[in-house]
Amino acid sequence: MTPLHFSYLSAFIVSIMGLSLHRTYLISTLLCLESMMLSMFIALSMWPIQLQTSSFMLTPMLMLSFSACEAGTGLSLLVASSRTHGSDHLQNLNLLQC
Amino acid sequence: MMYFMFLFGFCFVFWMVGVSCNPSPYYGVLSLILGAASGCGVLVSVGGSFVSLVLFLIYLGGMLVIFAYSAALVAEPYPIGWGSLWGVVYMVVYVLVIIGLVVIGHWLWGTEGFGHITVDAGGLCVVRLDFSGVSWFYYLGNVIFLIAGWGLLLTLFVVLELVRGLSRGVLRAI
Repeated sequence: MTPLHFSYLSAFIVSIMGLSLHRTYLISTLLCLESMMLSMFIALSMWPIQLQTSSFMLTPMLMLSFSACEAGTGLSLLVASSRTHGSDHLQNLNLLQC
Repeated sequence: MMYFMFLFGFCFVFWMVGVSCNPSPYYGVLSLILGAASGCGVLVSVGGSFVSLVLFLIYLGGMLVIFAYSAALVAEPYPIGWGSLWGVVYMVVYVLVIIGLVVIGHWLWGTEGFGHITVDAGGLCVVRLDFSGVSWFYYLGNVIFLIAGWGLLLTLFVVLELVRGLSRGVLRAI
């Protein structure tokens, strides 16, 4: 595997680990989600450039626009949580806990 | 030049490790900003100058600025830094994960050495592949262009409803 492809593969794996093992804040989860989107954007951009097929350049652009939608929705949930509980600690989101 | 561009790839992975092991969201946002800048360097080295500029403008200048301002919602008087025990432990764990990936990758697929061939070895261009590829949006991809624009407009109203306070808000546990 070339170092180029290994860089975004390892970035994605490390970001997934950070997403699943976050500690106290909701915004840490959203940051790891954004880093996953960043590594996916780099991967999707590099694929048509290296294979020289120009029509697949639509994929990273569409991914970036939908990732902006998802980041906005996640941050609005963060604001809603901060308004209800006063902070975005993950231990406050315990309505479904038995 | 090959090894200089390899440094951008290394810095990208380094800052992504910094995002995952953030002891405090301030350092996570900083690591993500610098990781996006290193990712732009990676994209420039293979010839994607347009997508690199798009990443800088839209991702860094649009989305990450919002993230940096939202980090003010988690303000605490004494944020935990990278020098504390938990920060060092998490960083060591992620670095070991990357070293493990390198070892497994070498065992499974073999290593072809450091550095990668940059795009200017093939000659200079006026308009590269990424710039001319995005222009397909206006001919073949006109329907998906409109659908993506409609989706972005819909997200605006979704966010407006999610942060509406008073009587019709979300996350009302009271």
